[in-house]
Amino acid sequence: MRTFLGVDVGSVTTKLALIDEGNQLIASIYLRTQGKPIEMIQDGLKEIEKRMPPGSEIYGLATTGSARYLAGVVLGADLIKNEITSHAVAAMHHVPDVQTVVEIGGQDSKIIIIRDGVVVDFGMNTVCAAGTGSFLDHQAARLDVKIEDFGGYALESEMPVRIAGRCTVFAESDMIHKQQMGHRTQDIIYGLCQALVRNYLNNVALGKEILPPVVFQGGVAFNQGIVRALDEGLKTHVSVPSNHELMGAIGAALLVHEEVEVEGIETRFKGFDIIQMDFQTSSFECGRCPNNCEIAQLAMNGRILARWGGRCGRWEKVIEEELTIS
Amino acid sequence: MRVSFPNFSNIHVVIKAVARKLGVTEGELVVPPPTTQKTLDLGVKYSPAEACLPFKLTLGNLIEACEMGADTLLQARGTGICRLGYYAKVQEQILGDLGYNARFLTYDVSRNKLVGIFSLMKNLRGANWFRDIPALHFGMSKLFSLDRIDKVVRHTRAVERERGGANRIYKEAIASIDGAENGREVKRLTRKYIGRLNSVAKDPRARPVKIGVTGEIYVVLEPFANMDLEMEMGKLGVQVERTLSLSRWVKYSLFLNPLGIDEWKDVRKAAMPYLKRDVGGDGWESVGEKVFHSREYDGLVHVAPFTCMPEIVAENIMPSTKEDLPVLSLVFDEQMGKQGMITRLEAFVDLLKFRRRSREKHENFSGC
Repeated sequence: MRTFLGVDVGSVTTKLALIDEGNQLIASIYLRTQGKPIEMIQDGLKEIEKRMPPGSEIYGLATTGSARYLAGVVLGADLIKNEITSHAVAAMHHVPDVQTVVEIGGQDSKIIIIRDGVVVDFGMNTVCAAGTGSFLDHQAARLDVKIEDFGGYALESEMPVRIAGRCTVFAESDMIHKQQMGHRTQDIIYGLCQALVRNYLNNVALGKEILPPVVFQGGVAFNQGIVRALDEGLKTHVSVPSNHELMGAIGAALLVHEEVEVEGIETRFKGFDIIQMDFQTSSFECGRCPNNCEIAQLAMNGRILARWGGRCGRWEKVIEEELTIS
Repeated sequence: MRVSFPNFSNIHVVIKAVARKLGVTEGELVVPPPTTQKTLDLGVKYSPAEACLPFKLTLGNLIEACEMGADTLLQARGTGICRLGYYAKVQEQILGDLGYNARFLTYDVSRNKLVGIFSLMKNLRGANWFRDIPALHFGMSKLFSLDRIDKVVRHTRAVERERGGANRIYKEAIASIDGAENGREVKRLTRKYIGRLNSVAKDPRARPVKIGVTGEIYVVLEPFANMDLEMEMGKLGVQVERTLSLSRWVKYSLFLNPLGIDEWKDVRKAAMPYLKRDVGGDGWESVGEKVFHSREYDGLVHVAPFTCMPEIVAENIMPSTKEDLPVLSLVFDEQMGKQGMITRLEAFVDLLKFRRRSREKHENFSGC
């Protein structure tokens, strides 16, 4: 069986999704990145290998998410795609008449406006992480509530408190103030959810025409409190796909499937051997001019595979030359 | 006297050319080091936090020039509705506080611009028409040459088979033209480099999307300020179109505006249904460019420095025009991460390609 793998390496979680030729999801894995993207890619790949149906083989691989370039080099990706396009494609696959995609991830949040099956506009948070999952993660820790239980608490709220959500620092002091006043934890938690949604609608979604059907995806969609607050904030029903946390990876897989079919390319996927490979990352400051760019490099078994971060392209070029010599 | 100036696009090539013909010796002209992270750090350190990016970068250039011994500094001033009007005054004070007592020679970019150029040259070297006019002409010939080459570079990047080739030729062209001694050599070099760019191996299957770049002129034209925006767009296979250029500014501001020819007439007229007046800087023209080019471009990238009032006005008017052209607004300051810009650009290019594909599908159906 021919299969296609999408790998979404985000700031907080790593997702892998394997689809078959009928674009059906046949295996997936969801891991916390924990600041170790390469290890998580290897762990994820190991799990996928176990869950693959016998006789199936990977014919195309795409990466997405903030570590898409790193993941692309490690795995040998056929396609490296930004997370906005990946999410849009997956949403349209799941809900063909979708008009608005709300995606809230660990570090960034997006809105994608779709009309007649074409993306017409998008927005992404720019300066502040107050509208994202990390914000909730942080506040949950402060309230001593597990993030997984957050949504349940929020749904129990009857009298949500108003919390200033424009900035994480202010939200936190406001929340402590509300705690000291004796408000119930449930009401504070739902107040936080509302603050996050308010922030999202006033920043990321500002000036965008939000029409139903609205699809809500990304890890934060696990949180029933946010779903409820979005419903109320948008005054429309917001649908959460069953694989909402995998949508980026599914979108990447769908895109690479199409690419393979249209272009007839053969996959560059390096195979499951890379689970055993030893990858090292390191960085240094160039120092050749006052820009002093920070160069990051990736090596496999001691051999440099790629470098990033230079302004002038000097270091990337060195790689090309090294590769042509060897 | 040791004269210096802030960097802006390729203006160092032009100023060097004019200065040489005016008889300013190499020791008297301090060319500031290329704008780098160090320049930005210096500018940020000594600027008010809320000042805009062009202020911070030009201050950084001037500090670096003063460190090299400059005592006379050229800077722009204006009477428009934009902070540029007080750049020189505030920078003079900041440099004074740092212990550099440099003299500022300011150039008014709002009115009497040709007269301003000659009075600037007079201030530097005393008036001499027989020397000044050919000097100005020589500087302008280099400016026009570089902008002609730049346009070919923007088109070549989108279709070249091996990425980076056009950039290398462009870099070489700037250096060669900078070294050219006379007008004939400038002409010869222009032909040579345009020829080399045209013979770069092209990908026959490339179908570049056509994206216009507009917004605040400094951030549009200074690659350090916009994080090599046009180069990054080129890597994504985008053909970059741009109305703004230094040579166009010079051609119209110095010579054709005084004759009553307004290069922005059509663009401003296009903006009229949505914005009826100048809002400072390039805000009016940004709105106009969206409307005016809505059929010609596939998309528009609108750039501005953070806190730039004119462009904030423009950014908020753009979505409401009935002319339908996707716009990506990018705001630049010292906090902006390059990866964020690239992610947005990639998504924007995808959006435009999907749009084109669905439009073509539509046309095919209606054609049957």
